[in-house]
Amino acid sequence: MSNSPVIQGNDDPIIEFRGVFKTYPTGTHALEDVNIKINNGEFVFVVGSSGAGKSTFMKLIMREEKANTGKITVNGFDLTSMPRRQVPMLRRTMGIVFQDFRLIPTMNVFDNVAFAMHVVGASGKEVRREVTKALSKVGLGHKARSMPSQLSGGEQQRVGLARALVNAPDLIIADEPTGNVDPNMSYEIVSLLTEINKKGTTILMVTHDHNLVRDFNHRVIMLDSGRIVADNAGGGIV
Amino acid sequence: MKLGSVKYLAGEGVKNVWVNRLMSIASIGVLVACMVIIGLAILITENVNIAVGNLEKQNVVMVYMKDYNWALYSEKEDVSSEENSSENAESSSAEEASEPERDANGISDNDYVIHNEDEAKALCKEIEKISNVEKAEFISSEEGLQAVKESMLEGQEEYFTFLDDEYGNPMSCAAKVTMKDMSLFDETLEEIGKLAGVDVIQSQSDLAETITALKQGITIAGIWIIAILLIISLVIVSNTIRVTMYNRKLEISIMKAVGATDAFIRLPFVVEGMLIGVISALIAEGLLYFCYRVATETIISTLGTSDIVKYGDVAWLLLLIFIGIGILAGVIGSVIMISKYLRREGSEFAAI
Repeated sequence: MSNSPVIQGNDDPIIEFRGVFKTYPTGTHALEDVNIKINNGEFVFVVGSSGAGKSTFMKLIMREEKANTGKITVNGFDLTSMPRRQVPMLRRTMGIVFQDFRLIPTMNVFDNVAFAMHVVGASGKEVRREVTKALSKVGLGHKARSMPSQLSGGEQQRVGLARALVNAPDLIIADEPTGNVDPNMSYEIVSLLTEINKKGTTILMVTHDHNLVRDFNHRVIMLDSGRIVADNAGGGIV
Repeated sequence: MKLGSVKYLAGEGVKNVWVNRLMSIASIGVLVACMVIIGLAILITENVNIAVGNLEKQNVVMVYMKDYNWALYSEKEDVSSEENSSENAESSSAEEASEPERDANGISDNDYVIHNEDEAKALCKEIEKISNVEKAEFISSEEGLQAVKESMLEGQEEYFTFLDDEYGNPMSCAAKVTMKDMSLFDETLEEIGKLAGVDVIQSQSDLAETITALKQGITIAGIWIIAILLIISLVIVSNTIRVTMYNRKLEISIMKAVGATDAFIRLPFVVEGMLIGVISALIAEGLLYFCYRVATETIISTLGTSDIVKYGDVAWLLLLIFIGIGILAGVIGSVIMISKYLRREGSEFAAI
């Protein structure tokens, strides 16, 4: 693989942070003066040690938390002034992949993926069509009737990925998606995400795995003590 | 929200009742108990009201009239002024000048107001015109005496027989008055007393006060019992929903993460709460019917009274009340709990 990062996407930012500060009521300064632009169609790794502010960064993008100061724009939504009732609309434009898969143990693979479509009010016909497509994309079409407990960790994470994909989001946020799978499966998952990214979906992936970051050669944002300490946007290091 | 979503969510709510069946059974049990007690409170109130109504009917007021017998046995007085109080001094002096004719007992027409049965019946009609008077039944002096004799204990009756033979019938004709609302007892008596020809009114004002106080007490107690049990029902359903919610926090976190609205997340819990309420209502109705039937059969056979509310007459009303309580407790309980959870807790990212 090439050593220079592959910067895809255009100059149209899908995520923009301007002078963002976030301090929790406990007094913890989670983010300090964060300024960043992530363009539509980019694949970005977010790295940093524990407590660096990665989770807060993701929570702000999902609008699970609100910034104390600064401006955040995601997918055209101004998160600083957006009322709470619009948060579901924002989230429908993104898919989320969790480290612990978050599959409902009492539902089979198909229903776990379909669940995300029911939530946004899709019809039964749409659900059947799109879930089948999403499961095929992640190579699990044949396991649609299996229960999560019958799947390996890698397979469970692919179900999580299918669920994130099924509503055709513009942005996928993956919170350490390879944290609970073996190295081979990690490569498979990031390869899948790369394939999805090539079709135009922006990917924002938090990871601790330096090998993946090095091998996949995407843009990397490094956080430390709530500040962005490195960003190789456009091939350079900030 | 689309119809498909509503169907899906309603189905999820129904499934929840089964998935959390132990908690559902516990909630249904407590709700049924609350509903049965509410139903019993309603039935007891109704039955007491019937009994009090019967007492009210017995609490008659006797209005005695100023008739010939009254003039004969009471202190003589000229009552003509009652009939026409506006007579001037000139005409009074004219009457004084012409002494009225008196009978063998020394009674003149001017000594009494009610001269015959027609006038007595007319007074009854006047009494009946008073808004709180339900009925004013004419009792002739003969009927009055007969009633007194019948009410006497054995032996005492002889005294009246002697009185009758010696002096004639001492009873005045009267009106037997029953009232609509015992709480207006005193005001009604005052209105009756103002009518010309009314002598004395015999009443049991203590009983009237007791009846009114009893009715008010029962109503207030009923309202309190129902209010307290409603709150208990609400707390019980809220608690079940709370447990269900914590059991399903993973699903809720996923729902929130993929963009479910609060209404969407809330609906299955509301359906679950409503369903628990409706099931409880049906069980409570059946149970209350059985208990009430056994109780009334026992009461009828031991006390011999059949003046009891029939369950069939109130069955639909009670069912509606129970379903209303169930749905209300289910909806309010779940909405309070889930809204609190969605506002303050339940991280999408950490699923906690």
